Amino acid sequence: MRVSLASRVRGSAVYRSIVRHGTTATNRNRSLVVFENLFLHVHPVKVREKTLRFTHTFWLGGITLACAFILFVGGIPLMFYYHPSVPQAYRDMKELQYVVDNGVFLRNLHRWAAHAMVLVAVLHMLRVFYHRAYRPPRQFNWVIGVLLLLATLLLSYTGYLLPWDQLSLWGVSVGTSMVKEAPFIGERIRFYLLGGNVVSENALLRFYVLHCVVLPVALLLLVSVHVWRVRKDGGVQGPAGAERKNEP
Amino acid sequence: MSVPIKIVESNDPMADPWRVAIVRPDSRPSARATEDRFVMTFPHLIVREVILFQLVLTVLSLAAIFFDAPLLGIANPLETPNPAKAPWYFLGLQELLHYFPPVVAGVLMPTLAVIALVVIPYARINLVAGPLWANASAKKAIALGAAVALVALLFGAFACWPIVVPTLALGIAMFATRGWERATSVRRLLWEVTLPEWIMTWFVIIATLLTVIGTYFRGPGWSWVWPWENAPRG
Amino acid sequence: MPDEESRDGETESISRRDVVVRLGVGACALAAAGSAAVTLDFLEPKVLFEPQTTFVAGAPLDFADGTVRFNREQKAYVIGTAGGVYALSAVCTHLGCITRFRSEQRMIACPCHGSQFDLEGNVVHGPAPRSLPWLEVSENASGSLVVETRVIVPQGKLFRV
Repeated sequence: MRVSLASRVRGSAVYRSIVRHGTTATNRNRSLVVFENLFLHVHPVKVREKTLRFTHTFWLGGITLACAFILFVGGIPLMFYYHPSVPQAYRDMKELQYVVDNGVFLRNLHRWAAHAMVLVAVLHMLRVFYHRAYRPPRQFNWVIGVLLLLATLLLSYTGYLLPWDQLSLWGVSVGTSMVKEAPFIGERIRFYLLGGNVVSENALLRFYVLHCVVLPVALLLLVSVHVWRVRKDGGVQGPAGAERKNEP
Repeated sequence: MSVPIKIVESNDPMADPWRVAIVRPDSRPSARATEDRFVMTFPHLIVREVILFQLVLTVLSLAAIFFDAPLLGIANPLETPNPAKAPWYFLGLQELLHYFPPVVAGVLMPTLAVIALVVIPYARINLVAGPLWANASAKKAIALGAAVALVALLFGAFACWPIVVPTLALGIAMFATRGWERATSVRRLLWEVTLPEWIMTWFVIIATLLTVIGTYFRGPGWSWVWPWENAPRG
Repeated sequence: MPDEESRDGETESISRRDVVVRLGVGACALAAAGSAAVTLDFLEPKVLFEPQTTFVAGAPLDFADGTVRFNREQKAYVIGTAGGVYALSAVCTHLGCITRFRSEQRMIACPCHGSQFDLEGNVVHGPAPRSLPWLEVSENASGSLVVETRVIVPQGKLFRV
């Protein structure tokens, strides 16, 4: 039998040092694909067939995660053309829109993915609520979900300032004025957030750091815990069945 | 489970073989019988995840190609645009600001909403909820009616109609389902709605309504405008 | 050997190991708290590069009874009356938008949420919670009127010219 190039590559020592599973369609190999991969092994090796149905969860958590991934991966190239200073930030937006190849596409993608993520995260929360999938032992994962929603909203809000146009400035001015209304600590928090008394270049820089470093790291950590706990709690929970009523 | 089991936990780290716990009596644990069928994650789940990601990326890319993100003039701290609107997910909050002082609409209400969300899985009412009228009693009906009336009056005192109207509408709907225990299909489904679900539905309707009003029905000076009169918003 | 510590006649047993462990944990907690405090202090801006808050409004004679002048950069109205001159902050007390003077109606309106103020700063309509603050007016060495936007004076305090 003629040995193909592909199978010779796959049989080589170098390849087999990197990829540890074979290609024959055995359950052992299928297990190894998941089990031996850092990124995939958050999954169990086997899943309940009914969780694969669309109507089980409507894939809303997965869509939210997909949006987050697109935002992370799409946001980084944008950083190569953006200076978080005044008025350079606005000029950079113009440059991205009119000069940089595919700049307008990347910026649009980032903006629509951001709106989509907020919306789908809320839908996901509602789905979990109406399916009562927050019941023990999943209670704390719900709390982590709420924190994730807050992180998502904050990411959206800090990103909103970065274009430094009229929408950005006044949207953020109004928002931080609301923070000021919190009793005792409101003024303090606003001072730290803005790095001053008014929305100016200090505020832009702080929001930039929050948007590109602090909040993404927080989101990443929280998502990891969230997905890990889904796994540990027995997988995604769809509509409550008869046997799951009032579980202790 | 007729024979009570006793679990003896070991705290000796040097035991060999290393024990975590001993279960007595020494009967085999039985897996909970389930009819769930299991399939291999790869390829079944992984392939679906890949397809899902591609779908999301495609839809968002199409949106990115055909719809531009807004970019107004450069930020000018000396000139406030009229109206000055927050991003859409905060417009509901901004609409609330029209009725209540900033400390209430901007700090108190969002904080209460977040606390209410966090508490959901720990509140007994959510864990043991049955259909609203499952244990129907006159007392319950009066309490519910009073609560609906109170909320409507409270928000009505501030002329906050986007909250008052859905409250009354849902109140009527809740009482309408009272006799539908023996009904079929849609009515029966509505009868099965639990109180926490009614409350969440109320919250979602109000949040959506406030956001829609803030987005499409508010113009200069936060005055009421009809969307068809108004220029497309940024 | 467990150490024994007598307290109020009761014998409470606490081992040396427990004391050392608690000291260690306490030290870590102290270090963490100290780090947090230092970081918070680091994040607080000590020097602000924000614009000047004092401005020269003009000569006293420019402010006859009924004059209303708006300074855009400093966000303040300077108003002349028969009894003297005063200055109002043009920043709406609701959420910080900049108000506008409507000369036909002789009143001040905010574009953001529809608040309206009279010429003394009192809220006439809308969600603004407080009246517009009065700012300090003084005279400099060359006789010009100077407004300090950071200093708030009681309502009704006119600068007599």
